[in-house]
Amino acid sequence: MHNGESQNGQANLATPAGINTDLLKRHGNTGKLFRSVLLVTGIMFLVGIVGIVLRLLEDGTENTRVWGYHAAAFAFILTTAQGAVMVAIAPRMAKAHWRRPISRVAEMFAVVGIVNLLMFIPLLSVLPSLEDGRRSLWFYNAADPILSKVPVYTPHIWASLSLIFLVLSGLMLLWVSSLADLATIRDSSSGRKHRFFAWLANGWHGTSKQWFMKYHRIGILGAFYFMMLIFTHFLIATDFDMALIPGWIDALFPITHAANSLQAGCATVIIAMFVLRRFGGYGDWIGLDQFWGLGKLMFALSLLWFWFWFSSFIILWYGSRPNEESVLNLIIRGPYQPAFMAAFILNFIAPLFMMMWNPVRKSIWGPTLVATGILIGTFFDRIRLYVSAYSIPGIGDSSVDKHMLHEIPQTVMPHFIDYMIWVGAIGGSVFVYMLATRIFPIINIWEQKELLLYKFHKKLHRTEVLVLGKPD
Amino acid sequence: MQEHIQLDQKQINDDLLSGVLRTPRWWLPAITVALLVFLTGMGAFGYMLNKGVGVTGLNRPVFWGFFMVNFVFWIGISHAGIMISAILRLTQAEWRRPITRAAEVLTVFSLMAALMAAPLVHVGRPWRAGLWVFPYDFARGVWINIRSPFIWDPSAVMTYLTASTLFVLIALLPDLAVIRDRTTGRARVLYSILCLGWRGTPRQWKLQAVAGILLSALVLPVFVSVHSIVSWDFAVQIGTESWHSTIFAPYFIIGAIHSGVSAVATIMVLMVWLWNWDKYLRPDHLDAIGRLLIVVATTWFFFFFVEWIFALYTLEDPEIAMRELQVLQWPWSGLFILFLITAFFFPVPLWLFKKVRRSFFWMFVTTISVNVGMWLERFLIIVPGTMRKQPFVFDWGSYHPSIMEILMVAMTFAWVVIGLLLFARIFPLIPLFDIKEGMVGRDEIKIGRRTVPASIRE
Amino acid sequence: MAIRSVLGLFNNEDTAADALDALNEAGFDQSEYEVLTGTPYPEGTFGEAEPVHKLYRFPLIGAACGFIVGLLLTSGTQLAFPLVTGGKPILSIPPMAIIMYEGTMLGAILFTVVGIIFESRLPRLLMGAYNTKITEGAIGVAVTTDETKVSQAEDVLRNAGAEDLKRGWETEQNR
Repeated sequence: MHNGESQNGQANLATPAGINTDLLKRHGNTGKLFRSVLLVTGIMFLVGIVGIVLRLLEDGTENTRVWGYHAAAFAFILTTAQGAVMVAIAPRMAKAHWRRPISRVAEMFAVVGIVNLLMFIPLLSVLPSLEDGRRSLWFYNAADPILSKVPVYTPHIWASLSLIFLVLSGLMLLWVSSLADLATIRDSSSGRKHRFFAWLANGWHGTSKQWFMKYHRIGILGAFYFMMLIFTHFLIATDFDMALIPGWIDALFPITHAANSLQAGCATVIIAMFVLRRFGGYGDWIGLDQFWGLGKLMFALSLLWFWFWFSSFIILWYGSRPNEESVLNLIIRGPYQPAFMAAFILNFIAPLFMMMWNPVRKSIWGPTLVATGILIGTFFDRIRLYVSAYSIPGIGDSSVDKHMLHEIPQTVMPHFIDYMIWVGAIGGSVFVYMLATRIFPIINIWEQKELLLYKFHKKLHRTEVLVLGKPD
Repeated sequence: MQEHIQLDQKQINDDLLSGVLRTPRWWLPAITVALLVFLTGMGAFGYMLNKGVGVTGLNRPVFWGFFMVNFVFWIGISHAGIMISAILRLTQAEWRRPITRAAEVLTVFSLMAALMAAPLVHVGRPWRAGLWVFPYDFARGVWINIRSPFIWDPSAVMTYLTASTLFVLIALLPDLAVIRDRTTGRARVLYSILCLGWRGTPRQWKLQAVAGILLSALVLPVFVSVHSIVSWDFAVQIGTESWHSTIFAPYFIIGAIHSGVSAVATIMVLMVWLWNWDKYLRPDHLDAIGRLLIVVATTWFFFFFVEWIFALYTLEDPEIAMRELQVLQWPWSGLFILFLITAFFFPVPLWLFKKVRRSFFWMFVTTISVNVGMWLERFLIIVPGTMRKQPFVFDWGSYHPSIMEILMVAMTFAWVVIGLLLFARIFPLIPLFDIKEGMVGRDEIKIGRRTVPASIRE
Repeated sequence: MAIRSVLGLFNNEDTAADALDALNEAGFDQSEYEVLTGTPYPEGTFGEAEPVHKLYRFPLIGAACGFIVGLLLTSGTQLAFPLVTGGKPILSIPPMAIIMYEGTMLGAILFTVVGIIFESRLPRLLMGAYNTKITEGAIGVAVTTDETKVSQAEDVLRNAGAEDLKRGWETEQNR
């Protein structure tokens, strides 16, 4: 064991016992602010549920036009919170030490998936069967003797399964990765709390075998989550969005949708980090290293966003066939141009021109500001993509041409109920996240203790250097 | 890495300059053979100039044949250098050190091979292309059409070539000083001039370090643009089924990385076999690149799959017919199966085994296989695409490459071999200072009975 | 006054660092001495001053120049020969953006390379005091100073344990 300082320069955090004490104390305490926010977000959640019920009662699920904002809210949560879990997975695979204090912050976003599952249920009823003759990933074709045998609700079935597996694998990952920490809480508590955490820790004693299996399972679940995330985005972007816009053939779009999720996922975690630092008292744990490391990743993903968007755009713009023109007129130039411009500026222009500067990149406020922009940009992006798609007349009607959009529909403005649903989606997400922090420590305790083994400072002739170990 | 061997600077100089200060025995025969192949290709080129493009197998409607396939192939290989060098440098991956330069040099020569394949040979009358570009006709005011991808393409390729050449040269400076200090006479004068009077002050070293990161960050976006634009040569037009797809840019890029990183792995093996640099290129290095290749290859396959899915998604008859031709009709069907096996189903399952990843022989075989497959991939995109009966095509036929085309394709391969051999004779192929820095910056952490490799960060 | 340099050669990092301390104590300014090594060491290993550079300005200026050239080239040529092709507007922004992008990056890279050479203070026409053993692992401490102080520097280096001493000529720029 090296008697170096902790990563934040605090001597009391330089020993495993010190880390335990500090983080368990923080985990056990809930402040007034916490409880107030929990109450407010809980009410927001209820407002959202009421909103969805009102929508179902007032409009039913036949008229897709009114469900655009709901679909956009669902896609927004899928893109942001459900993408955030990747921040725990990718840097861990790359063995980047800076991720340690924020990997739990990211993993915990898996619980938000539960809210999104609820949001998804009405969409299953809104999306018509494949019988309306639209294109789909499942190649249903009523006129073809073989393709007509494709079940007409295939998109519904696969998207549901995919989303359920995504949420389950996220929750599994969170639990498996937390085992050692749950055992730490078990060992420091008594009574009912002890019994509860003993049950959750599932007999964790920290044997070599348990650690081996834990690393192994974290790896597999992480890879599985990543694959499910890509797959879910693939299905949602295609069957629940692109297929509804006649004549839109864009092989890259599902991948752009998923890449956007990685970008917005980074942004979500950065915002969470900022809140934990500013209001949660975790300044000793989450520092510049984390903002810098994740900020760089978010910057790279913002450039990727542009590259993917441009790669799609240039093909449609250059090809300029009537169906391509009408798609551009719908989602870029036409009724949703302001939303597109907002997304373009906030997801690409602002990150580029802010994050290219060293002082901005290597700061707390810089990445936070850019991340806020990216979340707002993503919000508008989902609106332009989903509200426009659901506003197209004739969805579900097989007599309407599904290979060419003849008339661009008007902009759909949000209704009061849409605001309720949005408030509920965001409030509900924060609410379940905050509830989860009562069970799982928000800073990964075992990963912090592990870091003590691999990181220390040493004197090299006349200077002091940082030594970082990378186990195989 | 557990297999690290700590060496002093003198030993590193002796080992890594062995090919520069002395001529390896195999070097002359090897370059002679390569030169012969190159000259034969040049002969074929001369013959084609004299007789016209009729001596090739190109004919209506297939005007993009072996030359274009070769162009895309070499552009793809050229993506290796920056992928390895820039990305691994930015992520501070220690295993990059012995392979960065070989990868960058491969970039430079394969880009030249690409230029040889497409504008030079492919246009049939290269001087006309030259006169069309230079000088612009000021008198009549006829200017190039920047709306054409064929203008984007040279602007990107030339930017990339300039950038990667300068990237190599800047990183060579400290090593040239080492050679300067080990040579005498005219060679010493030459290297003294080339290294610009390098002394190794802290300022110079700091600038080297900053330059490595800054240039990497600047070259990366160029690297992405190059193959994207090459893909748009195909994809922006609507006349050819299977080309007009939005996924082409990332699909081409990831394919380029797949073939490029494989080519780097091939070169790593050759560096050990030919120069005996086994102290520097350990099985660990191959293992690392093998793991990277699994990720790259799987991503590539995913994009390939998506490209196909969305071709079928259109449910449009011409597109489906084109895909049928590619997959179900002989000889394309045979080539398609060969392509899938060589590019993915043979190498990738093998790479899953650590033993294979650490074997020089198997890594050589599998990475060569990838590049055979990736060459075929470009062939299957280009030739069946242009061959199919389409609207506005009044004539059609098949395509059989002539011996002239084959010779000219071989010429580009010979060119890259010549380039690498000449480079390795004049400059060190493994960056000495990078290796030395790795030795200084290496540490170990003892945890109980276990020793964990560590590196020093400033 | 003429400028000369003297080089002391050391076989060990700590002795070289001691030599730097000794030079400092003997009244030599930090700008008068520097360490020469055959490999990059972590900054401050020898207690030397941290080099300050302005390399980051170069790519920005280069990018701006490249962007402007790209903009003028793309818009100028199209306006000078306004032939509509493929139904695209004469000033089509997407294709212009591609070429302007390449111009920007090329400008940035060219200026960066110039910046690296300039900021490394290269090319250096006179090598001054230098020893080929430096690229073999020895550490050189070079003092570049007025002719009158050269022997004092030699004494300091010798006392600090230099294995070998060497004098060299300098130009005024290398001061």
